[in-house]
Amino acid sequence: MIVDVKGLKTHFFTHRGTVKAVDGVDFELRQGECLCLVGESGCGKTVTALSVLRLFDSPPGKIVGGQIRYNDLDLARCPIKQLRQIRGKDIAIVFQEAQSALNPVLTIGDQITEQIKVHLPLNNEQSRDRAKTLLSDMGIPTPETVMHYYPHQLSGGMKQRVLIAMSLSCDPKILIADEPTTAVDVTIKAQILDIFRELKTKRQMSTIFITHDLAVVSEIGDRAVVMYGGKDVETAPVSELIGNPKHPYTEGLIDCLPDMSKSGDRLASIPGTTPNPLELPEGCSFHPRCSKAMGICSHVEPSKTKISDGHFVCCHLYT
Amino acid sequence: MVETKIGGCLPNRTGLFNYYWQRIRRNKLALAGLAFIVFLIALAVIGPFVTSDPMAVNFDEKEIPPISFTSQQSTYNIQTDQLTTKDIHGTWEHPLGTDSKGSDMLAMLIAGARISLLVGLIATGIAIILGTIIGVVSAYLGGWADNILMRFTDIMMTFPFFLLLVLIVFIFGPSLAFIVLVIGLTGWTGTARMIRSESLSLRTREFVVAAKALGATDNRVVFRHLIPNVASLIIIMATLSIPGVILAEAALSFIGLGDPTVPSWGVILESGRHTLATSWWVAVEPGIMLFLTVLAFNFLGDGLRDAFDPRSNL
Repeated sequence: MIVDVKGLKTHFFTHRGTVKAVDGVDFELRQGECLCLVGESGCGKTVTALSVLRLFDSPPGKIVGGQIRYNDLDLARCPIKQLRQIRGKDIAIVFQEAQSALNPVLTIGDQITEQIKVHLPLNNEQSRDRAKTLLSDMGIPTPETVMHYYPHQLSGGMKQRVLIAMSLSCDPKILIADEPTTAVDVTIKAQILDIFRELKTKRQMSTIFITHDLAVVSEIGDRAVVMYGGKDVETAPVSELIGNPKHPYTEGLIDCLPDMSKSGDRLASIPGTTPNPLELPEGCSFHPRCSKAMGICSHVEPSKTKISDGHFVCCHLYT
Repeated sequence: MVETKIGGCLPNRTGLFNYYWQRIRRNKLALAGLAFIVFLIALAVIGPFVTSDPMAVNFDEKEIPPISFTSQQSTYNIQTDQLTTKDIHGTWEHPLGTDSKGSDMLAMLIAGARISLLVGLIATGIAIILGTIIGVVSAYLGGWADNILMRFTDIMMTFPFFLLLVLIVFIFGPSLAFIVLVIGLTGWTGTARMIRSESLSLRTREFVVAAKALGATDNRVVFRHLIPNVASLIIIMATLSIPGVILAEAALSFIGLGDPTVPSWGVILESGRHTLATSWWVAVEPGIMLFLTVLAFNFLGDGLRDAFDPRSNL
């Protein structure tokens, strides 16, 4: 186990009230595995990822509880200087929108080499060489030329590759990918998933992969954490999660996937929308949308129940 | 190795500069402004080595009009108790005429160009550097730091800087260095506000978070990521504030608070005010120079603003 998150709570104290974006999440990341965080928009998966490196805006955001164990450190509490050493060097993040995650006024080469020089004792020339190698590793045909380009001169897929190259520039042990396949088209998506698959086999990279797409999860994930309303409602190995979902929300998500073999029917959907994070429902926050809701669901918060080894669910159906 | 081009036709590495130059070139007024400013800078740098001493006094050659103009000069003869009037024509020796002390106008205007430009550049430089740093830091830190810095900016904005100048001139005497310092140290407020509002939106952009995610320190984010992104705004603000500073110095000189030991355009203009009836050119010539300079900087500033604005169709 390389990262162990326990009871993580990240709240945002706004003038309209407290947003409990992440409210008690447990998960662990094992060496060399791809852990997926799955959920709808606003369920807290991005904030969970940002919390690992404390990258949310503070104020208003604050980690109010729990711990994030990495080696002997608690990332939720360690001094910012120590955290800065870890950011990029040990744990790196790939953001969703490659267009906005690259600085528009610096060339690609400048951005990557700057990054390398922060963490590694290399001079200008060495870091440029390293940047070129990284770019060609990511399947960019003419790294020398691309180094001189500005972000707006590259296509979306290229930018996403540059971004991944940048996060890999200091050989991180853990990669956090925040919906890297959401803003690109299908062919690029396939190529990017290939890159992540390759990272896993070649470098034994441990990855936290955030997505709302269960199809992507089934393709590259080893284990998955389903999140709803800032909580982890179900954790299981991916094959178990897809084949034997326990939580009604997970079942709903799987039903929503289009199935080519059954044509003609309307696509299933989960009724309602994600709850307003300022006023989460009492008890189980999913109960207003749940088809199997019982009386207890509206006032008692379900606790974690073990289904089998490595499969946990938070639902009153199983307690 | 054959270089394959990605994504169609891509500009080379000088692309950005060329791109903006092409956009500015299409604005003829901005180009004219730029030409005049280049001419003025050349004049200010080389001129004083070529011309005679601008402060030289020669009462035998006082109040000679510019070339192709004629003026009448009256002399009173005590012995005959008669007033004789004679016509004086402009000479090539003093192409722009002389003032009431016989100093050469051309030499004075060239020396004045040097002073006015220096005042404009140095005071604007101080103001822009202060404004940029205060604006960016304020936006980046946010919270109480932002509050304190912006309330301080508000106070500076409402503070009557002219009064401060009058006070300083009264206490320390009229010195160009003080005037430049005061204009610079009070003129940053507008820039700070503009830069802050621009940085506020930049700060939440993902590349700033991405830079932090890769281990960048606050300093690095501010100087490497935020400031280069507001560079176009800084250039525009600087270009548009230079004429204001030049005019402020001229205005101070005009009301007699300028440094009388240096022939800035404002000082020359002020000295011509008293002899407007007999030698109008002493006041008019620096006036024209001020007018043209201010106009040139404004045209260039407008042109730059259009060129840097991706939404304008040029």
